[in-house]
Amino acid sequence: MNRFWTYGLYGLALVCLVGIGLFSGRFTLYLTMRIMILSIFAMGYNVLFGRTGLLSFGHGAFYAGGAYGLALVAIHVSPHPLLGLVAGVALASCIALIIGYFCVRHTEIYFAMLTLAFGMMVFSLIWNLRDITGGDDGLVGISRVPLSLGFFRIALAKASHYYFFVLALFVFSLWAIRRILHSPFGLILSGIRENDRRIEFAGVSLRNYRLAAFVISGAFAGLAGGLSTLLESNTAPFSAHWTNSASPVLVSLIGGIHTFAGPVVGSLLFVVLREIIERFTHNWMLWFGIILLVIIMGFRGGVVGALSDLMNRKIRMSTGS
Amino acid sequence: MKDPLLEIRRLNKSFGRVVAAHEIDLALEAGVITSVIGPNGAGKSTLINLLSGSLRPDSGQILFQGKDITRLPIHRRIRMGLSRSFQVVNVFPNLTVFENIEIPVLAMRGHAHRLFRSVAGESDTEREVTGILDRIGLLGERVTPASALSHGDQRLLEVGIALAAGPKLLFLDEPTAGMNPVERKRILENIRSLAKEGRTTFVIVEHDMDVVFALSERVIVLHYGVVIGDGTTEEIRDNPRVREVYLGEEVAP
Repeated sequence: MNRFWTYGLYGLALVCLVGIGLFSGRFTLYLTMRIMILSIFAMGYNVLFGRTGLLSFGHGAFYAGGAYGLALVAIHVSPHPLLGLVAGVALASCIALIIGYFCVRHTEIYFAMLTLAFGMMVFSLIWNLRDITGGDDGLVGISRVPLSLGFFRIALAKASHYYFFVLALFVFSLWAIRRILHSPFGLILSGIRENDRRIEFAGVSLRNYRLAAFVISGAFAGLAGGLSTLLESNTAPFSAHWTNSASPVLVSLIGGIHTFAGPVVGSLLFVVLREIIERFTHNWMLWFGIILLVIIMGFRGGVVGALSDLMNRKIRMSTGS
Repeated sequence: MKDPLLEIRRLNKSFGRVVAAHEIDLALEAGVITSVIGPNGAGKSTLINLLSGSLRPDSGQILFQGKDITRLPIHRRIRMGLSRSFQVVNVFPNLTVFENIEIPVLAMRGHAHRLFRSVAGESDTEREVTGILDRIGLLGERVTPASALSHGDQRLLEVGIALAAGPKLLFLDEPTAGMNPVERKRILENIRSLAKEGRTTFVIVEHDMDVVFALSERVIVLHYGVVIGDGTTEEIRDNPRVREVYLGEEVAP
């Protein structure tokens, strides 16, 4: 696909998102916000998974770090949403730095299991430290106070207002992650995925770069967790559970791990499919499993990967003939 | 001898009961093309692995430009100017030829950690990569994925990645294995001209005796982890011990 089409598609998507924010009902707003938040989670995750090939099952811990960081600041310090998000992202990054320090020396199944273990440790901490985290109730009553930026204030309380706050951070995340993937740092990460033994002989510290990718993906998970807390106005201990850690993995696989738009498209499908299936049946996991099977077996490289392959082949055929 | 570029003191390494390096004492001088030869299992690969950091010695010391690097991790040695290539193709398969060379160049320039700059905007890096590609004759393949190259070209790229780290000392592990005569000629010319420029000192591990004798100014012979011969090509040819264990069949008296 050429540049023109790519930017055209992004522009169209942005127009649609703004349109949804201006004209749709509460339910669609809520669903779209969930999609954008999951996208931030999954895009950040994919910096680690898609680029360095490290499969983490502990990113729920960082998501929860963002959620609880924001909630604790909102309750004890100040309810300013930006301050809360900064605190949440900082907490998530710190947890990622500590957990990552121990995990990145291992790879493959050992790495996956270690992250899973650390993630579940964070989950049980949240579950048991009732005085701080509210235990199984979570922290409740986080309100969306107006965003005051010096001279002017932006109200966030209504869903239609908060929507644009989420949209702005979604676009920011897209931009930032795109920058990262196209930077020298991003190229080094690709090198790690391609050949993690040779990369050291190119003068790159394998461990440090893996850790950096881990912390970056943790920071975006924290941002998603914070935004989600503001949306729901409470924190859920289960956001640190491994089931939440699995969602960016599934979303990336559905969309395509080696594509930039993959996690976003995956999030869209994930949230919408779940919503539709849940209308008809209680065991949505069963049907979702079947759909996942079809996508993984039928679309090589995820939905976006398969579609762009198809497009490229068509273009080549039309120019070839 | 001037201050040596690399100095090895009483280096030992064994795998179980197999001795791969026994009390090796060597000093490599800058600018002298050196070959390391020896029969299979002589410890040539082990020696390269010890010097480049893949293996830790059981005892002994390695000094590079006077600094002790015995326990330094691989990437730090590369950054100091001690690079190596591999006997088997060891490239980044799904990246383009250009990107394969770009990774070490970025790392050496200390630009690898740049997060928010476009990699396409690194014009100094681009110039350097282009220069290296031109040198190894792969400029025409710059956008080809490495895995789509012919075996010989992959071998050239392999050496190119090692060169891109701008090494002061470069170990080449059987650089001409699996190359056709044209590619072989190109690689040997490259080694000669780079050596003449004086920035890089080459140490070559080879099986091919023609390459060894055509190129080297100094030959080191290993046998079961012990240095049994060390000298000019003539001296090695005439060394009875070496001929006994190794050269006998290949070099007629």
